[in-house]
Amino acid sequence: MIKATDLLKKYPDPSNLGCMFNAVDGINLNISEGIIFGLLGPNGAGKTTTLEMLEGLNDIDHGEVIIDQMNIKDHPYEIKKIIGVQLQSNEYFDRLNLKELITLFGSLYSKTIDAELLLAKVKLDDKAKALPDDLSGGQKQRFSIACALVNNPKVLFLDEPTTGLDPQAKRNLWDLVIDLNNEGMTIVLTTHNMEEAQYLCQEIAIMDKGKIIAQDSPENLISKFANKLTTSSDSGTLEDVFLNLTGYELRD
Amino acid sequence: MFSKPQLHLASIFLKIFFRDRQSLFFSLLVPLIFTGVFLFSENEPPKIKLGLVNQSSSALAKDFVEMVNNEPLFELTIGTEDSLKIELIDGNQTAILIVPQSFDYLADVAKLRLMLDASQVRQIGAIQDALNTSLLSIEREIRNIEPMFQLSLEDVKARPQRYIDFLLPGILAYMLMNLCIAGSGFNIVEYRRRGILKRLFVTPIQPKDFIISIVLARMLIVLIQISVILALAINLLNIQVMGGLPSLYGMVILGTFIFLCIGFFLGSLAKTQESIRPIVALVTFPQLILSGIFFPITSLPTIIQPIANTLPLSVLASGLRDIANDGISLFTINGTLLGVLLWIFISFLLATQFFKWKKVAS
Repeated sequence: MIKATDLLKKYPDPSNLGCMFNAVDGINLNISEGIIFGLLGPNGAGKTTTLEMLEGLNDIDHGEVIIDQMNIKDHPYEIKKIIGVQLQSNEYFDRLNLKELITLFGSLYSKTIDAELLLAKVKLDDKAKALPDDLSGGQKQRFSIACALVNNPKVLFLDEPTTGLDPQAKRNLWDLVIDLNNEGMTIVLTTHNMEEAQYLCQEIAIMDKGKIIAQDSPENLISKFANKLTTSSDSGTLEDVFLNLTGYELRD
Repeated sequence: MFSKPQLHLASIFLKIFFRDRQSLFFSLLVPLIFTGVFLFSENEPPKIKLGLVNQSSSALAKDFVEMVNNEPLFELTIGTEDSLKIELIDGNQTAILIVPQSFDYLADVAKLRLMLDASQVRQIGAIQDALNTSLLSIEREIRNIEPMFQLSLEDVKARPQRYIDFLLPGILAYMLMNLCIAGSGFNIVEYRRRGILKRLFVTPIQPKDFIISIVLARMLIVLIQISVILALAINLLNIQVMGGLPSLYGMVILGTFIFLCIGFFLGSLAKTQESIRPIVALVTFPQLILSGIFFPITSLPTIIQPIANTLPLSVLASGLRDIANDGISLFTINGTLLGVLLWIFISFLLATQFFKWKKVAS
């Protein structure tokens, strides 16, 4: 479904003025249709930049991205029609309620949609007349996903969807993601929550310093890399894999 | 002509605007204040407060005082020199005219003394002129002679031209510039800061859809605001639009387009909410001074005039003035219309070249 080859993104180096560094350093991804794919990594690993290049939000300095057999450089607007994107920041136009915003996003795809039905799907049907600012953290994230679903996308990108949510809201959102995946939607998400990656993803790529350092199913990653057990769990967890691969050094 | 996303987005911008009670209130308050100011200052020019001390007991002095009193230009107070001086210092009198004891038919030239407050220097010329003219006519009357000639002011364009007639089109143009730049430039910077542009960027709409929808929405808002001012001006200030309202509205629409595009350009340049203000001020403030809003451009230094004449606000103001005051139709090809068209082209080019999703959204 998604094939990224040799992706490269250069940014000015904040710690070394005048120099550039590779925020994303030649990564390859092959994401099959219908799976939940997780992009894991510590802060600053290049997850969001990678995601933004896949979504067409960020220029690709080198390499290419093919989604549903279309190259994003040649068909940016065609690809936007078949993907849904949930961004980390979710602010909307002032003074519009959820229903109006959903209708607005629908119209941007030239689609008339049943806003209430979509809101019901993310369990926000009783909030149709509320403003986004009046929502709780979990409700905001669910609304953000609803906005990304207006075009019934083939691929849904979620950028750290559960960051800052309480355990109930987190579980609730996971259920939603699994429901969507069960409908056949391919989902690509970034997270640094290992529990989330283990619970949701069928395949995981671990990124560090702009490179993919491991890519496999959670089970295989655990059996391969959790051998130097650092927690009490018998079989090891994805967190062990993560710490073994990316080290214990503090990342900010 | 317009696509569904464009129209829907435009209706959303209108909805946002009309739900913002505060901005709605102030956008109507400004034209009301403006019209109010002119409504109350439209009367006769204020009278000169003149104190008069009559030290003479002659018949001539008596006649003279009588005539000065009848002069509509003055608001006369007769009193003693000392008491009037105090009033002058307090600012309750503009000048004191002293008729000396020697003021009589018998004297050669009657010397009148005029006392002024030096801080009123700016007005001295005007007061002296007014007094001289009045004295001259009083003298003629006393001597019973007819003036040899009279100046009658005749406008070649044969229509009443007041300062407000000159001012209104300029003020309309200036308001239009501010409304438009605030509507596009400031909004873009705010939408970018909050990540709203980025959210729009992930949908298939293109920058041109976004620009067109803001232009449509803002144009409607500006037309409503301008209509309120025009309605007040026509009904309360007796402004006449010689070239007809359709032409005037046509010019307003062209001007709106120019300044919305300039706003997009400035909004794309400015990276932060802090930087948009000085950038916008840099563009609007010189135009307020140079574009002949309050005074004709011909009163500016000669070197500046060619530059001043080419500014977008000058072009729009003179376009509106041509239509409102000189009765020219929108479709009359003249330098102003060409200037307007040229600015439409330049501003559209600037807006579209600088407003790129990837640049403005991130």
